[in-house]
Amino acid sequence: MSTIISIRNLHKRFGHLEVLKGIDLELQKGEVMVVIGPSGGGKSTMLRCINHLEKYEKGEIYFKDVLLHEKRVNMNEYRMKMGMVFQQFNLFPHRTVIDNLMLSPLKVKKMDPAEVKEKALNLLKRIGLSEKASAYPINLSGGQQQRVAISRALMMDPELMLFDEPTSALDPELVGEVLEVMKQLAREGMTMIVVTHEMGFAREVGHRMILIDDGLIVEEATPTDFFQNPKSERTKEFLRKVL
Amino acid sequence: MSDIILSMPFLLQGAVITLQVTVLSAVFGTIIGTIFGMGRLSKAPFLRIPSSIYIEFVRGTPLLVQIYIIYFGLPSIGIDFPPFTAAVVALSINAGAYTAEIVRAGIQSISRGQTEAARSLGMTVWQTMRYIILPQAFRNILPALGNEFIALTKESSLVSVIGIAELTRQGQYIISRTFKSFEIYGGVAIVYFAITFTLAQLVNWVEKKVTIK
Repeated sequence: MSTIISIRNLHKRFGHLEVLKGIDLELQKGEVMVVIGPSGGGKSTMLRCINHLEKYEKGEIYFKDVLLHEKRVNMNEYRMKMGMVFQQFNLFPHRTVIDNLMLSPLKVKKMDPAEVKEKALNLLKRIGLSEKASAYPINLSGGQQQRVAISRALMMDPELMLFDEPTSALDPELVGEVLEVMKQLAREGMTMIVVTHEMGFAREVGHRMILIDDGLIVEEATPTDFFQNPKSERTKEFLRKVL
Repeated sequence: MSDIILSMPFLLQGAVITLQVTVLSAVFGTIIGTIFGMGRLSKAPFLRIPSSIYIEFVRGTPLLVQIYIIYFGLPSIGIDFPPFTAAVVALSINAGAYTAEIVRAGIQSISRGQTEAARSLGMTVWQTMRYIILPQAFRNILPALGNEFIALTKESSLVSVIGIAELTRQGQYIISRTFKSFEIYGGVAIVYFAITFTLAQLVNWVEKKVTIK
Protein backbone atom coordinates (compact mmCIF):
# COMPACT_ATOMS: atom_id res chain seq x y z
CA MET A 1 0.00 0.00 0.00
CA SER A 2 1.14 3.53 -0.70
CA THR A 3 0.41 6.66 1.26
CA ILE A 4 -1.71 9.15 -0.67
CA ILE A 5 -2.25 11.85 1.96
CA SER A 6 -0.18 12.60 5.01
CA ILE A 7 -0.96 15.39 7.41
CA ARG A 8 1.60 16.50 10.00
CA ASN A 9 0.85 18.76 12.94
CA LEU A 10 -1.87 20.73 11.13
CA HIS A 11 -2.99 23.93 12.85
CA LYS A 12 -5.72 26.25 11.66
CA ARG A 13 -7.31 29.25 13.30
CA PHE A 14 -10.16 31.57 12.40
CA GLY A 15 -9.21 34.83 14.12
CA HIS A 16 -8.82 33.99 17.78
CA LEU A 17 -10.53 30.63 17.49
CA GLU A 18 -8.13 27.74 17.05
CA VAL A 19 -10.08 25.13 15.09
CA LEU A 20 -7.33 22.59 14.44
CA LYS A 21 -4.75 22.10 17.16
CA GLY A 22 -2.30 19.66 15.64
CA ILE A 23 -3.75 16.95 13.40
CA ASP A 24 -1.58 14.02 12.27
CA LEU A 25 -3.02 11.62 9.75
CA GLU A 26 -1.98 9.15 7.06
CA LEU A 27 -4.27 7.84 4.36
CA GLN A 28 -3.38 4.85 2.22
CA LYS A 29 -4.44 4.33 -1.37
CA GLY A 30 -7.76 2.47 -1.50
CA GLU A 31 -8.62 3.29 2.07
CA VAL A 32 -12.04 4.56 3.16
CA MET A 33 -11.65 6.80 6.17
CA VAL A 34 -14.72 7.95 8.05
CA VAL A 35 -14.43 11.11 10.13
CA ILE A 36 -16.98 11.77 12.83
CA GLY A 37 -17.28 14.16 15.72
CA PRO A 38 -19.40 16.98 17.10
CA SER A 39 -20.19 20.09 15.05
CA GLY A 40 -17.52 22.74 15.25
CA GLY A 41 -14.92 20.15 16.22
CA GLY A 42 -12.87 20.76 13.08
CA LYS A 43 -13.73 17.78 10.82
CA SER A 44 -14.89 19.86 7.85
CA THR A 45 -12.05 22.32 8.31
CA MET A 46 -9.53 19.51 8.13
CA LEU A 47 -11.12 18.22 4.93
CA ARG A 48 -11.11 21.71 3.40
CA CYS A 49 -7.45 22.18 4.32
CA ILE A 50 -6.51 19.02 2.41
CA ASN A 51 -7.50 20.52 -0.95
CA HIS A 52 -6.56 24.02 0.19
CA LEU A 53 -10.00 25.58 0.10
CA GLU A 54 -8.78 26.81 3.50
CA LYS A 55 -5.29 28.06 4.16
CA TYR A 56 -3.58 26.93 7.35
CA GLU A 57 -0.95 28.53 9.52
CA LYS A 58 1.16 25.62 10.61
CA GLY A 59 1.84 22.03 9.69
CA GLU A 60 2.25 20.10 6.46
CA ILE A 61 -0.03 18.28 4.09
CA TYR A 62 1.54 15.95 1.53
CA PHE A 63 -0.16 14.48 -1.52
CA LYS A 64 2.03 11.43 -2.10
CA ASP A 65 5.49 13.05 -1.85
CA VAL A 66 4.45 16.59 -2.70
CA LEU A 67 4.28 19.19 0.04
CA LEU A 68 1.17 21.06 -1.10
CA HIS A 69 1.72 24.51 0.37
CA GLU A 70 5.06 25.01 -1.38
CA LYS A 71 5.07 27.97 -3.76
CA ARG A 72 6.10 25.95 -6.82
CA VAL A 73 3.11 23.62 -6.42
CA ASN A 74 0.21 24.50 -8.73
CA MET A 75 -2.68 23.75 -6.41
CA ASN A 76 -5.20 23.72 -9.30
CA GLU A 77 -3.50 20.60 -10.62
CA TYR A 78 -3.75 18.87 -7.26
CA ARG A 79 -7.36 19.87 -6.65
CA MET A 80 -8.23 17.92 -9.79
CA LYS A 81 -6.77 14.81 -8.20
CA MET A 82 -9.00 15.29 -5.14
CA GLY A 83 -12.70 15.27 -5.94
CA MET A 84 -14.81 17.12 -3.41
CA VAL A 85 -18.48 16.68 -2.56
CA PHE A 86 -20.18 19.38 -0.50
CA GLN A 87 -23.02 19.36 1.97
CA GLN A 88 -24.96 21.87 -0.17
CA PHE A 89 -24.20 20.03 -3.48
CA ASN A 90 -23.06 23.29 -5.14
CA LEU A 91 -24.11 22.28 -8.63
CA PHE A 92 -23.84 25.13 -11.15
CA PRO A 93 -27.48 26.27 -11.44
CA HIS A 94 -27.02 27.99 -14.81
CA ARG A 95 -25.77 24.80 -16.47
CA THR A 96 -27.63 21.62 -17.33
CA VAL A 97 -26.75 18.40 -15.56
CA ILE A 98 -24.54 17.17 -18.38
CA ASP A 99 -22.85 20.58 -18.68
CA ASN A 100 -22.10 20.47 -14.96
CA LEU A 101 -20.24 17.22 -15.61
CA MET A 102 -18.53 18.35 -18.80
CA LEU A 103 -17.45 21.89 -17.94
CA SER A 104 -14.25 21.21 -16.05
CA PRO A 105 -12.93 18.37 -18.26
CA LEU A 106 -13.48 20.63 -21.29
CA LYS A 107 -12.19 23.93 -19.93
CA VAL A 108 -9.55 22.81 -17.45
CA LYS A 109 -8.28 19.56 -18.93
CA LYS A 110 -9.05 20.60 -22.54
CA MET A 111 -10.25 17.11 -23.33
CA ASP A 112 -11.95 16.06 -26.55
CA PRO A 113 -15.68 17.03 -26.39
CA ALA A 114 -16.96 13.76 -27.87
CA GLU A 115 -14.93 11.75 -25.38
CA VAL A 116 -16.07 13.91 -22.46
CA LYS A 117 -19.69 13.60 -23.47
CA GLU A 118 -19.51 9.83 -23.69
CA LYS A 119 -17.88 9.67 -20.29
CA ALA A 120 -20.53 11.98 -18.78
CA LEU A 121 -23.38 9.94 -20.25
CA ASN A 122 -21.85 6.74 -18.88
CA LEU A 123 -21.56 8.21 -15.40
CA LEU A 124 -25.16 9.47 -15.52
CA LYS A 125 -26.29 6.04 -16.60
CA ARG A 126 -24.49 4.47 -13.65
CA ILE A 127 -26.32 6.71 -11.18
CA GLY A 128 -29.60 6.18 -13.03
CA LEU A 129 -30.06 9.79 -14.15
CA SER A 130 -29.63 9.47 -17.92
CA GLU A 131 -33.00 11.05 -18.56
CA LYS A 132 -32.00 14.14 -16.53
CA ALA A 133 -28.96 14.96 -18.68
CA SER A 134 -30.47 18.13 -20.12
CA ALA A 135 -32.40 19.18 -16.99
CA TYR A 136 -31.27 22.08 -14.83
CA PRO A 137 -30.24 21.33 -11.24
CA ILE A 138 -33.22 23.25 -9.83
CA ASN A 139 -35.52 20.55 -11.23
CA LEU A 140 -33.73 17.73 -9.41
CA SER A 141 -34.36 16.44 -5.90
CA GLY A 142 -31.61 16.91 -3.32
CA GLY A 143 -30.61 13.28 -3.60
CA GLN A 144 -30.39 13.51 -7.38
CA GLN A 145 -28.38 16.71 -7.14
CA GLN A 146 -25.88 15.13 -4.79
CA ARG A 147 -25.49 12.09 -7.05
CA VAL A 148 -24.81 14.45 -9.95
CA ALA A 149 -22.29 16.33 -7.79
CA ILE A 150 -20.46 13.07 -7.05
CA SER A 151 -20.40 12.25 -10.78
CA ARG A 152 -19.13 15.75 -11.57
CA ALA A 153 -16.17 15.18 -9.25
CA LEU A 154 -15.55 11.74 -10.77
CA MET A 155 -15.33 13.25 -14.26
CA MET A 156 -11.86 14.54 -13.35
CA ASP A 157 -10.63 11.01 -12.57
CA PRO A 158 -9.61 11.89 -9.02
CA GLU A 159 -7.26 9.68 -7.04
CA LEU A 160 -9.05 10.59 -3.85
CA MET A 161 -12.57 11.73 -2.97
CA LEU A 162 -13.38 14.08 -0.12
CA PHE A 163 -16.97 14.05 1.19
CA ASP A 164 -18.01 16.91 3.47
CA GLU A 165 -21.22 15.76 5.20
CA PRO A 166 -22.74 14.75 1.84
CA THR A 167 -26.09 13.66 3.26
CA SER A 168 -26.63 16.24 6.01
CA ALA A 169 -28.72 18.59 3.87
CA LEU A 170 -30.97 15.83 2.51
CA ASP A 171 -34.47 14.77 3.47
CA PRO A 172 -34.19 11.45 5.33
CA GLU A 173 -35.77 9.42 2.54
CA LEU A 174 -33.17 10.69 0.05
CA VAL A 175 -30.11 9.79 2.11
CA GLY A 176 -30.10 6.16 1.03
CA GLU A 177 -29.68 6.75 -2.70
CA VAL A 178 -26.62 8.95 -2.10
CA LEU A 179 -25.04 6.52 0.36
CA GLU A 180 -25.59 3.75 -2.18
CA VAL A 181 -23.51 5.59 -4.79
CA MET A 182 -20.79 6.20 -2.20
CA LYS A 183 -20.76 2.56 -1.09
CA GLN A 184 -20.45 1.49 -4.71
CA LEU A 185 -17.44 3.79 -5.10
CA ALA A 186 -15.87 2.42 -1.94
CA ARG A 187 -16.30 -1.16 -3.14
CA GLU A 188 -14.62 -0.26 -6.43
CA GLY A 189 -11.55 0.74 -4.46
CA MET A 190 -11.81 4.54 -4.48
CA THR A 191 -9.75 6.22 -1.77
CA MET A 192 -12.15 8.29 0.33
CA ILE A 193 -12.31 10.56 3.32
CA VAL A 194 -15.91 10.90 4.44
CA VAL A 195 -17.04 13.37 7.07
CA THR A 196 -20.45 12.09 8.08
CA HIS A 197 -22.91 11.24 10.82
CA GLU A 198 -24.01 8.06 9.03
CA MET A 199 -22.78 5.32 11.34
CA GLY A 200 -24.26 2.57 9.19
CA PHE A 201 -22.15 3.69 6.24
CA ALA A 202 -19.05 3.74 8.46
CA ARG A 203 -19.69 0.18 9.66
CA GLU A 204 -20.44 -1.16 6.23
CA VAL A 205 -17.64 0.22 4.06
CA GLY A 206 -15.27 2.12 6.39
CA HIS A 207 -11.74 0.80 6.86
CA ARG A 208 -10.76 3.23 9.55
CA MET A 209 -12.60 5.73 11.72
CA ILE A 210 -11.40 8.83 13.43
CA LEU A 211 -13.17 11.07 15.88
CA ILE A 212 -12.19 14.73 15.86
CA ASP A 213 -13.17 16.93 18.78
CA ASP A 214 -11.91 20.33 19.80
CA GLY A 215 -9.34 20.35 17.00
CA LEU A 216 -7.67 17.05 17.82
CA ILE A 217 -8.02 13.41 16.81
CA VAL A 218 -9.24 11.73 19.99
CA GLU A 219 -9.79 8.23 18.63
CA GLU A 220 -8.50 6.32 15.64
CA ALA A 221 -9.54 2.71 15.11
CA THR A 222 -11.12 0.18 12.77
CA PRO A 223 -14.92 0.48 12.72
CA THR A 224 -15.27 -2.71 14.76
CA ASP A 225 -12.94 -1.50 17.52
CA PHE A 226 -14.33 1.99 17.30
CA PHE A 227 -17.87 0.90 18.04
CA GLN A 228 -17.10 -2.01 20.37
CA ASN A 229 -14.01 -1.01 22.36
CA PRO A 230 -13.51 2.74 22.14
CA LYS A 231 -10.48 3.81 24.15
CA SER A 232 -11.21 7.42 25.01
CA GLU A 233 -13.97 8.62 27.31
CA ARG A 234 -14.85 11.28 24.76
CA THR A 235 -15.60 8.63 22.13
CA LYS A 236 -17.75 6.62 24.53
CA GLU A 237 -19.72 9.73 25.38
CA PHE A 238 -20.15 10.65 21.71
CA LEU A 239 -21.27 7.16 20.76
CA ARG A 240 -23.82 7.11 23.60
CA LYS A 241 -25.37 10.24 22.14
CA VAL A 242 -25.47 9.26 18.47
CA LEU A 243 -26.24 5.53 18.60
CA MET B 1 -49.61 69.50 -33.29
CA SER B 2 -48.55 70.06 -36.89
CA ASP B 3 -45.28 71.53 -35.61
CA ILE B 4 -44.53 68.29 -33.82
CA ILE B 5 -45.30 66.26 -36.92
CA LEU B 6 -43.23 68.51 -39.16
CA SER B 7 -40.31 68.46 -36.77
CA MET B 8 -40.40 64.69 -36.33
CA PRO B 9 -37.93 63.84 -39.13
CA PHE B 10 -35.38 66.16 -37.50
CA LEU B 11 -36.06 64.78 -34.06
CA LEU B 12 -35.68 61.25 -35.38
CA GLN B 13 -32.31 62.18 -36.87
CA GLY B 14 -31.35 63.33 -33.39
CA ALA B 15 -32.75 60.14 -31.92
CA VAL B 16 -30.42 58.12 -34.13
CA ILE B 17 -27.43 60.03 -32.71
CA THR B 18 -28.81 59.59 -29.16
CA LEU B 19 -29.05 55.85 -29.79
CA GLN B 20 -25.52 55.69 -31.20
CA VAL B 21 -24.05 57.54 -28.22
CA THR B 22 -26.09 55.52 -25.72
CA VAL B 23 -25.44 52.08 -27.19
CA LEU B 24 -21.69 52.68 -27.52
CA SER B 25 -21.52 54.06 -23.97
CA ALA B 26 -23.59 51.16 -22.62
CA VAL B 27 -21.23 48.64 -24.23
CA PHE B 28 -18.04 50.38 -23.04
CA GLY B 29 -19.62 51.17 -19.68
CA THR B 30 -20.47 47.49 -19.15
CA ILE B 31 -16.93 46.42 -20.03
CA ILE B 32 -15.42 49.09 -17.75
CA GLY B 33 -17.93 48.28 -15.02
CA THR B 34 -17.18 44.55 -15.14
CA ILE B 35 -13.43 45.16 -14.87
CA PHE B 36 -13.70 47.68 -12.02
CA GLY B 37 -16.48 45.79 -10.26
CA MET B 38 -14.16 42.78 -10.07
CA GLY B 39 -11.27 45.10 -9.20
CA ARG B 40 -13.13 46.46 -6.22
CA LEU B 41 -13.55 42.92 -4.87
CA SER B 42 -9.93 41.97 -5.48
CA LYS B 43 -7.71 40.98 -2.58
CA ALA B 44 -4.83 42.85 -4.24
CA PRO B 45 -4.64 46.48 -3.01
CA PHE B 46 -3.14 47.69 -6.31
CA LEU B 47 -6.37 46.63 -8.04
CA ARG B 48 -8.83 47.38 -5.27
CA ILE B 49 -7.75 50.89 -4.32
CA PRO B 50 -7.68 52.43 -7.83
CA SER B 51 -11.05 50.79 -8.56
CA SER B 52 -12.59 52.31 -5.44
CA ILE B 53 -11.14 55.75 -6.19
CA TYR B 54 -12.50 55.69 -9.75
CA ILE B 55 -15.96 54.56 -8.68
CA GLU B 56 -16.29 57.00 -5.79
CA PHE B 57 -14.91 59.97 -7.73
CA VAL B 58 -17.16 59.48 -10.74
CA ARG B 59 -20.25 58.84 -8.62
CA GLY B 60 -19.48 61.88 -6.48
CA THR B 61 -19.16 64.44 -9.28
CA PRO B 62 -21.77 65.76 -11.76
CA LEU B 63 -21.87 64.20 -15.22
CA LEU B 64 -22.03 67.68 -16.73
CA VAL B 65 -18.71 68.59 -15.09
CA GLN B 66 -17.21 65.29 -16.31
CA ILE B 67 -18.27 66.11 -19.87
CA TYR B 68 -16.69 69.59 -19.54
CA ILE B 69 -13.45 68.11 -18.21
CA ILE B 70 -13.18 65.64 -21.08
CA TYR B 71 -14.17 67.99 -23.88
CA PHE B 72 -12.85 71.37 -22.68
CA GLY B 73 -10.28 70.32 -20.08
CA LEU B 74 -8.29 67.52 -21.64
CA PRO B 75 -7.14 69.49 -24.74
CA SER B 76 -5.05 71.69 -22.44
CA ILE B 77 -2.98 68.62 -21.56
CA GLY B 78 -2.80 67.53 -25.17
CA ILE B 79 -5.73 65.10 -25.40
CA ASP B 80 -8.11 66.53 -27.96
CA PHE B 81 -11.19 64.40 -28.69
CA PRO B 82 -13.70 65.26 -31.43
CA PRO B 83 -17.15 66.00 -29.89
CA PHE B 84 -18.72 62.60 -30.61
CA THR B 85 -15.75 60.71 -29.16
CA ALA B 86 -15.65 63.01 -26.12
CA ALA B 87 -19.36 62.35 -25.55
CA VAL B 88 -18.93 58.58 -25.70
CA VAL B 89 -15.81 58.68 -23.48
CA ALA B 90 -17.54 60.81 -20.83
CA LEU B 91 -20.71 58.72 -20.77
CA SER B 92 -18.77 55.44 -20.77
CA ILE B 93 -16.63 56.51 -17.84
CA ASN B 94 -19.74 57.67 -15.99
CA ALA B 95 -21.81 54.56 -16.75
CA GLY B 96 -18.78 52.37 -15.95
CA ALA B 97 -18.68 53.59 -12.36
CA TYR B 98 -22.36 52.88 -11.73
CA THR B 99 -22.17 49.55 -13.55
CA ALA B 100 -19.13 48.59 -11.48
CA GLU B 101 -21.20 48.88 -8.30
CA ILE B 102 -23.98 46.81 -9.87
CA VAL B 103 -21.50 44.14 -11.00
CA ARG B 104 -19.88 44.09 -7.56
CA ALA B 105 -23.27 43.46 -5.92
CA GLY B 106 -24.00 40.79 -8.55
CA ILE B 107 -20.76 38.92 -7.87
CA GLN B 108 -21.37 39.12 -4.13
CA SER B 109 -24.85 37.67 -4.59
CA ILE B 110 -23.38 34.33 -5.76
CA SER B 111 -22.79 31.93 -2.88
CA ARG B 112 -19.25 31.01 -1.83
CA GLY B 113 -20.11 27.39 -2.49
CA GLN B 114 -20.11 28.08 -6.23
CA THR B 115 -16.54 29.34 -6.12
CA GLU B 116 -15.49 26.45 -3.91
CA ALA B 117 -17.07 23.86 -6.21
CA ALA B 118 -15.38 25.39 -9.25
CA ARG B 119 -11.98 25.60 -7.55
CA SER B 120 -12.32 22.03 -6.26
CA LEU B 121 -12.69 20.94 -9.90
CA GLY B 122 -9.33 22.49 -10.72
CA MET B 123 -10.55 25.79 -12.20
CA THR B 124 -8.34 28.85 -11.79
CA VAL B 125 -9.68 32.08 -10.30
CA TRP B 126 -10.26 33.40 -13.84
CA GLN B 127 -12.00 30.30 -15.12
CA THR B 128 -14.24 30.39 -12.05
CA MET B 129 -15.14 34.03 -12.76
CA ARG B 130 -15.73 33.45 -16.45
CA TYR B 131 -17.69 30.22 -16.45
CA ILE B 132 -19.35 30.16 -13.03
CA ILE B 133 -19.62 33.53 -11.27
CA LEU B 134 -20.12 36.14 -14.00
CA PRO B 135 -22.80 34.24 -15.98
CA GLN B 136 -24.87 33.85 -12.81
CA ALA B 137 -24.11 37.39 -11.62
CA PHE B 138 -25.29 38.91 -14.93
CA ARG B 139 -28.59 37.03 -14.71
CA ASN B 140 -29.13 38.46 -11.24
CA ILE B 141 -28.24 42.05 -12.12
CA LEU B 142 -30.15 42.24 -15.39
CA PRO B 143 -32.96 44.43 -13.92
CA ALA B 144 -30.42 46.80 -12.36
CA LEU B 145 -28.44 46.96 -15.61
CA GLY B 146 -31.67 47.75 -17.46
CA ASN B 147 -32.27 50.67 -15.10
CA GLU B 148 -28.73 51.89 -15.66
CA PHE B 149 -29.15 51.80 -19.45
CA ILE B 150 -32.43 53.71 -19.21
CA ALA B 151 -30.75 56.32 -17.02
CA LEU B 152 -27.89 56.50 -19.52
CA THR B 153 -30.31 57.14 -22.40
CA LYS B 154 -31.75 60.11 -20.55
CA GLU B 155 -28.39 61.42 -19.33
CA SER B 156 -27.07 61.36 -22.89
CA SER B 157 -29.11 64.54 -23.40
CA LEU B 158 -26.34 66.35 -21.50
CA VAL B 159 -23.89 65.89 -24.36
CA SER B 160 -25.93 68.45 -26.28
CA VAL B 161 -23.77 71.01 -24.44
CA ILE B 162 -20.74 70.06 -26.53
CA GLY B 163 -22.61 70.37 -29.79
CA ILE B 164 -23.62 66.77 -30.48
CA ALA B 165 -26.71 66.89 -32.70
CA GLU B 166 -28.57 64.38 -30.60
CA LEU B 167 -32.25 64.46 -29.74
CA THR B 168 -32.24 67.33 -27.23
CA ARG B 169 -29.92 69.46 -29.34
CA GLN B 170 -32.08 68.91 -32.43
CA GLY B 171 -35.10 70.01 -30.41
CA GLN B 172 -33.33 73.19 -29.32
CA TYR B 173 -32.35 73.88 -32.92
CA ILE B 174 -35.94 73.56 -34.15
CA ILE B 175 -37.20 75.78 -31.33
CA SER B 176 -34.69 78.45 -32.25
CA ARG B 177 -36.43 78.69 -35.63
CA THR B 178 -40.08 78.02 -34.69
CA PHE B 179 -40.25 79.33 -31.08
CA LYS B 180 -42.66 76.47 -30.24
CA SER B 181 -40.95 75.39 -27.01
CA PHE B 182 -43.86 73.48 -25.50
CA GLU B 183 -44.68 71.44 -28.59
CA ILE B 184 -41.12 70.64 -29.59
CA TYR B 185 -39.85 69.75 -26.10
CA GLY B 186 -43.02 67.69 -25.74
CA GLY B 187 -42.08 65.88 -28.93
CA VAL B 188 -38.54 65.41 -27.66
CA ALA B 189 -39.88 63.89 -24.44
CA ILE B 190 -42.15 61.52 -26.39
CA VAL B 191 -39.22 60.27 -28.47
CA TYR B 192 -37.10 59.71 -25.33
CA PHE B 193 -39.99 57.84 -23.78
CA ALA B 194 -40.40 55.68 -26.87
CA ILE B 195 -36.73 54.71 -26.63
CA THR B 196 -36.68 54.00 -22.89
CA PHE B 197 -40.00 52.15 -22.99
CA THR B 198 -38.74 49.90 -25.79
CA LEU B 199 -35.52 49.34 -23.86
CA ALA B 200 -37.46 48.37 -20.72
CA GLN B 201 -39.50 45.83 -22.72
CA LEU B 202 -36.31 44.47 -24.25
CA VAL B 203 -34.76 43.99 -20.80
CA ASN B 204 -37.93 42.20 -19.61
CA TRP B 205 -37.79 39.94 -22.63
CA VAL B 206 -34.12 39.07 -22.10
CA GLU B 207 -34.80 38.49 -18.41
CA LYS B 208 -37.54 35.97 -19.23
CA LYS B 209 -35.32 34.36 -21.83
CA VAL B 210 -32.45 33.66 -19.43
CA THR B 211 -34.54 32.57 -16.45
CA ILE B 212 -33.94 28.89 -15.79
CA LYS B 213 -37.19 26.97 -15.80
